[in-house]
Amino acid sequence: MKSSKDSSLSFRKPMVLVLALVAVSPVFGVVLADMVGYHEPLDVAAEQLGLKDLTDVTNWTPFLDYTMPGLPQEIGYVIAGLLGIGIILAIGFLLRRLVKPVETKKSNT
Amino acid sequence: MHIPDGFLDILTVVITYTIFVVYGVYALKKARTELGAEHTVLTSVLSAGIFAAQMLNWPLPGGTSLHFVGGAVAGIILGPWLGFLSLFLVLLIQCLIFHDGGITALGANALNMAIISVLVGFFVYRMLVKAFGTGNSVKFTGAFLGGWLGIVLAGAACGLEIGFSPAFPYGVAITVPVMVAWHALLGIVEGMITAFTILYLINKAPKYMLSEKGVIV
Repeated sequence: MKSSKDSSLSFRKPMVLVLALVAVSPVFGVVLADMVGYHEPLDVAAEQLGLKDLTDVTNWTPFLDYTMPGLPQEIGYVIAGLLGIGIILAIGFLLRRLVKPVETKKSNT
Repeated sequence: MHIPDGFLDILTVVITYTIFVVYGVYALKKARTELGAEHTVLTSVLSAGIFAAQMLNWPLPGGTSLHFVGGAVAGIILGPWLGFLSLFLVLLIQCLIFHDGGITALGANALNMAIISVLVGFFVYRMLVKAFGTGNSVKFTGAFLGGWLGIVLAGAACGLEIGFSPAFPYGVAITVPVMVAWHALLGIVEGMITAFTILYLINKAPKYMLSEKGVIV
């Protein structure tokens, strides 16, 4: 990043880990979920009350449930992950340009 | 844990959005003093990591699944204000781009995952370290309990929110026990991941631990 190696933060290793998580995500988010059935405790509670999920009725995105139109689910899941991460990082880098470096910090805990 | 559209009545939507907006404005104000260029990037990189980790659903025998939430990890690493922003960024992208979590439920989802789980994780960890010292075992236990309790209380709040429907007068009597019981069990995994992540960072990469460096108020 900049000047002192001790104080500056490097994000290369964390980003490698993030990309590795996305690479294996279809195993957990698609393959195993399809095998066992993805069913969160929230679904259990909502079922008991008879609450109705309106996601399909009110949907506005072509990427619903981390899918990509026209692509197999596993590949779409990875691309959806990369898309989400790309947008998050883009927002972070945009914000970075807007803020000044923090040099003097108050040390009250 | 992401509440979809259709699960909340209008009063709950208004109340949860109000809490989220008031807290969010305060958090933003507090975070402005901490948002240096590097901290901003660290916050977004942690958001990216939590977003990726949340894509890993862990199906359990019996047909129930869980995914890592990451509120306590964000709270312990970044503190309550940047931790809130980090989790909220994840929830916002999940909601707007992938419709994971409803737009009417964004306030409730932010309250549960970006406020409650972050605050609980941060304060439980901080309290244990203050009371029992800075040894690795104390930090591991603090992070575990912070992760576990954060997810249990977030689950309880989620149960209250979906249970408070005029159509179901005794809804909370059903939803809260279901959510708390399941999350008390599933929260063990959240606690373990939180504890190992924090212990690794403290020992191998302490420069990322803003809350440990006295940066956080």
